[in-house]
Amino acid sequence: MIRPEVIQKFVSIVGKDRCKTSPEDLLTHSYDASILEFVPDAILFPVSTEEVSRIMALASAENVFVTPRGSASGLGGECLAKKGGILLSFTQMNKILEINTENRYAIVEPGIVIADFQKAVEAVNLFYPPDPGSATVASIGGAVMMNAGGMRGIKYGVTRDYLLGMEIVLPSGEVMKTGTITAKDVTGYDLTRLICGSEGTLAIATKITVRLLPKPKARRTLLAIYDDIDDAGKTVAKIVEAGIIPATMELMDKTVIKAVEEAFHLGLPLDAAALLLIDVDGDDATIERQSPLIAEFCQGQGARNVRTSSSEEENVQLWAARRAAFGCIARLRPTCLIEDATVPVNQMVKAIKKVKEICERNNVQIAVLAHAGDGNLHPLMLCDQRDKEEMARVEKAMDEFVEYAMTIGGTLSGEHGIGVNKAKYLPQQLSATSLKIQRGIKNVFDPQGILNPGSFLEVSPK
Amino acid sequence: MIAKELQEEVYNCIKCGICMNACPVYKQLHVEGAAPRGKVQLIKKIQEGKFDISEGFKNLLYTCLLCETCTVNCPSGVKIDRLFKAMRAEVLKKYKLPLLKRIMSTVLSSDQLLPFCMFWGRTLGNPLMALLPKNGKIGAISFSKLPKFNGKPLMDQYPEIISPSGKAQGRVIYFPGCANNFLFENVGNSTIKVLQRLGVEVVFPKDLKCCSLPIFLSGARQMALSNIKSNLSAFSRYDNVDAIIVDCATCGAAFKEEYVHILGEMGEDTKEAQKVKNKVMDISQYLAKFDLKKYLQPLKGRVTYHDPCHLVRSQKIKDEPRALLKQIPGLDFAEMVGADVCCGGGGTFQLDHPDISVSITKNKIQSIRNTGADTVASGCPGCRLQINGNLGNEKIRVVHPIELLAEAMGKV
Repeated sequence: MIRPEVIQKFVSIVGKDRCKTSPEDLLTHSYDASILEFVPDAILFPVSTEEVSRIMALASAENVFVTPRGSASGLGGECLAKKGGILLSFTQMNKILEINTENRYAIVEPGIVIADFQKAVEAVNLFYPPDPGSATVASIGGAVMMNAGGMRGIKYGVTRDYLLGMEIVLPSGEVMKTGTITAKDVTGYDLTRLICGSEGTLAIATKITVRLLPKPKARRTLLAIYDDIDDAGKTVAKIVEAGIIPATMELMDKTVIKAVEEAFHLGLPLDAAALLLIDVDGDDATIERQSPLIAEFCQGQGARNVRTSSSEEENVQLWAARRAAFGCIARLRPTCLIEDATVPVNQMVKAIKKVKEICERNNVQIAVLAHAGDGNLHPLMLCDQRDKEEMARVEKAMDEFVEYAMTIGGTLSGEHGIGVNKAKYLPQQLSATSLKIQRGIKNVFDPQGILNPGSFLEVSPK
Repeated sequence: MIAKELQEEVYNCIKCGICMNACPVYKQLHVEGAAPRGKVQLIKKIQEGKFDISEGFKNLLYTCLLCETCTVNCPSGVKIDRLFKAMRAEVLKKYKLPLLKRIMSTVLSSDQLLPFCMFWGRTLGNPLMALLPKNGKIGAISFSKLPKFNGKPLMDQYPEIISPSGKAQGRVIYFPGCANNFLFENVGNSTIKVLQRLGVEVVFPKDLKCCSLPIFLSGARQMALSNIKSNLSAFSRYDNVDAIIVDCATCGAAFKEEYVHILGEMGEDTKEAQKVKNKVMDISQYLAKFDLKKYLQPLKGRVTYHDPCHLVRSQKIKDEPRALLKQIPGLDFAEMVGADVCCGGGGTFQLDHPDISVSITKNKIQSIRNTGADTVASGCPGCRLQINGNLGNEKIRVVHPIELLAEAMGKV
């Protein structure tokens, strides 16, 4: 609990309207898109770097916990006030400060929603490629702190690859710049990329500078239907091996297809075992060359049907459906836990088989979604969080799958982060030395340990 | 507590957040409590006994346009609007409706009060309204933009059976709605004129009541019940009708969607409501089967169309009104960006939250402006009031599509 007189001091920084402490506000800021819940003591809505700096200075002086929050679409409790204290919400600090078409960069405030930002840069023929499934919800600040990946990873990489620099506020309240606006920069340690993916444990971003690309002239979406999910996985491996780089390669299994079709009525075949949704983009010549080639690969690996979208409207529909897949799954069961282990692409077919086998053995209902081009699996475990016994089985299945992913050179998390739930697995991937260094880094930034307490480093086994 | 099947809905929300960026109100306030996801989570806590219905919760629940955008965008298929509507009824068991809404609901649900108020409104209202300060506002609407009362209620302007101009090709019941009956007579006149011209006999029952949607969506279900039953029984008196024609998006939504749900949730018989639901048609839907071309004279100008929430989402009617407008020769149809985004009116929402309301409406008006249209058409009196009320001095005409159609048909 924060003492009322301390709350008053925070109010004096942001004003009464942007300091919320009503039970309704606290409860509606207690969750993200996982099943975790932690109730904060107060929520502050800063709108400037100066406010954030003053808030952090006060928090340091009073030893108050502060947890930054974007749109709370994360999947591991990273932006929740795990030990109470202040939740610092950036939903109202959401302006685009500059779109520079000459040097192709933009400067934004952390709260802007990714899709809104993408729309704004595309209006001036530029392109911000990182495209998490939750782009219509997630904020750029959240995406930076989680180093969000997404659907275009195979060709365009992830959030980190587009970060040029930041203005950050340290837990002490000091304001600091990292990076530059230039494409190249080797001056000092790369703090920009260190903070990116730090799950909001090192510093708070108040301005974010990202690199932009020219907007691709065109895109085309291919939909390949399979009677055997293995064939879909093999297609992906073959395409990657052949050196073809589509913009996206998404895999859905039959359960996901069914849920998505129920929500969107796109005419997806309900009897299919799997489908691949593949985007190619670029100039017309590239598209004309790549799409028949990809279609051939699909057919060569046993696709029963390969459909090419006929219009941009159809593209948009198909991708809106893919974006909503996580939500659609809730039509089948109330709760959906989403795994995020990522494996080498050539191991993906095996890994999908394994996760299915594990789930079957533990009597857990599963659906498989994957950013297949990256080997980034998203097995969706369908359950009901009210059923304790079922949740125990789900947890066991997750434990087994993570362990398996480690043995084939995979990683604990491709893009969702470690958060609270995966912290227990950390020592399986990171050595004691690595963890020691990471804890040391945290200590340099946040010696008092007031920023985002209860995060992965703290809760992982020592 | 709310109906059992609705209670289960809260567990299907996995908090993905897709509703947030779809919600016009959240996009203005950027506070989670305003987001559909936030309200659903609070309802879950209330159901589980971990939180009580509070003043704050009540305020959040009414900080909602009930535009249903969240519901149609929810990938999990959570019936968010149904949940909120039912919850409003629960809230009213603990808190009273605000005075203004209580007066409005009492007037709309009463047999005598409504005609009485409307009589005095006509007699005194129009002259009094002229005295109101030009820059004053009621809710989000400037005084100067308030509509005038009809000289005589629409219902009193017609006989019970209105014969078509030629041989009868069909027979329909017409439900005018309070808006047309007391304020927008030209819409009702246009609908009747078009139907007559097409050879449709119009039955105009004299005992129709307010559809009561504004009452029961405020949560006052019990107050609305007698009107609902009375309308259903009025409709059931006439056999041999092809359809019950409605030219108000809101009344249509009440008959086609709300009555069945609300009666069901209140444990009332839904048989009649189900029958009516299947009979009711929006005027644009009914006209789709006619070949209108031969009746239409050219009009001039450019028109754009705004989708009322109660048509595009509640009733899934999107193409039919556009088809009507596009058939009119000489009239240039221009689609606006975000035509199906709520105008920000939300019935009484604009009275409760004028600031939020106006900021949403501004975007709509910009969208209309960008088309270069001189006329915007929309099948909902609330939307027309809201759009017209916030247009300022711009010379953009705000009409119901049927008014343009009637104009194109010329004098009968």
